[in-house]
Amino acid sequence: MNAWIDFARGPLFAITFLIMILGLGRQVVLQFYFLSVKKGRRLRGVAWKNVARETLSWAIPVRHMEPGNSVFTAASFLMHIGIILVPLFLLDHIVLWEGFLGVSLPALGRGTADVLTLLTIGCSLLLLFLRVFFTRHRMVSRPMDYVLLMAVILPFVSGYLAVHPRGSPFPWEAMMLTHLLSAELLFVLVPFTKLAHVVLFFFDRISAVHWQLRPGAGDKIAEALYGEEVKI
Amino acid sequence: METATVPRVRDQRMTPPTRVFPYHVLERPGEKLVDRFLEAFAWVLEYTDYKPLLDSYCRSTAKCNRCAVACPVLLASGDPRDIPCYRTNLLLDTYRRYFTLDGWVSSRLSTPFELTEDLIDEMGEVFYRCTVCRRCTQSCPLGFDHGLVTRLGRYILSLIGIVPKALQVSVQEQLHGETHNTSKVPRAGLLDVLDFLSEEMEEGLGVKLEFPTDKVGRDYVFFCAVSDYLMEPDTLMGNAAVLYAAGDWDRWTIGLCNYDGINYGLFYSDWHLENIIKQLVSEVTRLEGKNILIGECGHASRAAHDFIPTFMGRDAPPVYNFMEYTLDCLRRGKIRLDPGIVTERVTYHDPCNIARSGWIVEQPREILRSFVPNFVDMVPKGAQNFCCGGGGGLVSIDEMHEYRMEIAGKIKAEQIEATGAEIVVAPCANCKKQLKELVEYHHLPCTVMGLHDLILKAIEIPGGKSPAERKEAAVSWV
Repeated sequence: MNAWIDFARGPLFAITFLIMILGLGRQVVLQFYFLSVKKGRRLRGVAWKNVARETLSWAIPVRHMEPGNSVFTAASFLMHIGIILVPLFLLDHIVLWEGFLGVSLPALGRGTADVLTLLTIGCSLLLLFLRVFFTRHRMVSRPMDYVLLMAVILPFVSGYLAVHPRGSPFPWEAMMLTHLLSAELLFVLVPFTKLAHVVLFFFDRISAVHWQLRPGAGDKIAEALYGEEVKI
Repeated sequence: METATVPRVRDQRMTPPTRVFPYHVLERPGEKLVDRFLEAFAWVLEYTDYKPLLDSYCRSTAKCNRCAVACPVLLASGDPRDIPCYRTNLLLDTYRRYFTLDGWVSSRLSTPFELTEDLIDEMGEVFYRCTVCRRCTQSCPLGFDHGLVTRLGRYILSLIGIVPKALQVSVQEQLHGETHNTSKVPRAGLLDVLDFLSEEMEEGLGVKLEFPTDKVGRDYVFFCAVSDYLMEPDTLMGNAAVLYAAGDWDRWTIGLCNYDGINYGLFYSDWHLENIIKQLVSEVTRLEGKNILIGECGHASRAAHDFIPTFMGRDAPPVYNFMEYTLDCLRRGKIRLDPGIVTERVTYHDPCNIARSGWIVEQPREILRSFVPNFVDMVPKGAQNFCCGGGGGLVSIDEMHEYRMEIAGKIKAEQIEATGAEIVVAPCANCKKQLKELVEYHHLPCTVMGLHDLILKAIEIPGGKSPAERKEAAVSWV
């Protein structure tokens, strides 16, 4: 079992992490490539400051709370806090980062990390509950939306149980291996699923760029579809 | 409403005997609808820049559903098909399945998503239930522009012949008709209207003015929604009064070859959008005008302001909305508005096309506060304002009247009622038509008018009758 844990903590971690970085990098490069093709006069009119301000305003989305979605907003916000902070700043993870990347990050207190983990699990379950029981949410949900939410919860649950072996019904080794493997599964899923919004959130917001339509495109499309005799 | 007859059953592959959309279609779409849709989609992707947008949206659509509480249509209808994210995903799913590698791979692994004629029907319906007000964009944590996707969907549908007859007929007339405008107002008709306006102004304001037509080399070439010439004489007289009082009567002109600011291409087609813009700019070039002045019309202003630089380059003449011009005159003391004339409670409706981006939000309020003592704002207002319910071209589609009254405009009606206003100012030809119908339909005790209708009442005309005199002489006030 320990050999498996070492494998998951060593080479497998490195490979899956690399897949995530390369996959996300590809998305970013592709988007920048498209933008560079578009650049020139048509990119100048975009209010980049507004785009940046709008994006940042969602970091703490208090002013975006509206009646009808405040529960969702709060739950989603707290879940994201945990998802961002715990994997990066938990003491045990810092050791891992140091080993692989050589960077030393400040550590979260054990108590804070526990609270954040439990909050993330709780909020994810709440989001899952909303998806299952509210028509409005179910209407836009696909199987993958449920699967991914559970894939996100799994490393948190198993990680929490691994850290608190005394209250855990499962052996430590099993929990640790589950934790490692589920986290690595997540690494692989990030660039290929909607979790890619971890980098794409910025590119989604630049619709001002996309409103700058390409001149002459309409005529070409019409000609391709209707032939020489263009009918308007 | 005819919408109920569209079959909803997704699992059964049934083709309805006649396609039913919530609006009249000029040509009934023929056979092989799915193939034709995909072909049109493919050409659109080939020649336009929508691909990176769709790639990014497709990949990161989180389907969090936060947009649901922002949509005025959904709030009134409760129909889950009106969820902005659901609507957007109809198109995104199609894109993912037929135009990406992911879609192809997952279609090999499981039961694939398949575009059917029913789905195209559904798109035809839900894309036109949306008023493209883009309020949902502000609610999306990822900033998805659902309006842009809806517009793209409408564009593709229009390429295969699914487009409201009302819009198509107008655009055809504007681009290829004799009159080159959406309301088929011939040049002689326009001159008659201008004569009539000049007589009215002489009688009402006490000054004799002749409207400048086809004058070359003027600073401003004026375009309004052409329907204003038929339906909104007070708005036009208000515009004219401001130009006269500010001493700019010799600086503007109306072109006689093209006098229509309306651009329905903004609602459904890049192709028409571009061609109408070109037509408008060529008129300005013919008259050697320096600036384009757009009257009170939200979508005409946005179409010209945003898309002239896009299609014609940065050297094209700058575009101003009339409210910007009026505010400039007011700030510089070129016009004076009498604050004792309009005593009614007045509220202001933000047209989505000019307010959503934050372009024109404070300007009209500054004008109104300067002469209306009893001004009250709606909640929410400005960039967060609710759509009137007639946006996205819906107001021109007569067969959707009941839908606009009962669903799309319901929230707006409640919002207006809550202000207790006697006058609703809506500086947009679309909004004005919709709100007038809405007020009548819901029996609201208020009058809808443009900003310049109100300014016409309070403006001091040099050498003419005073506003107080005019108010006394008026047969009906509001």
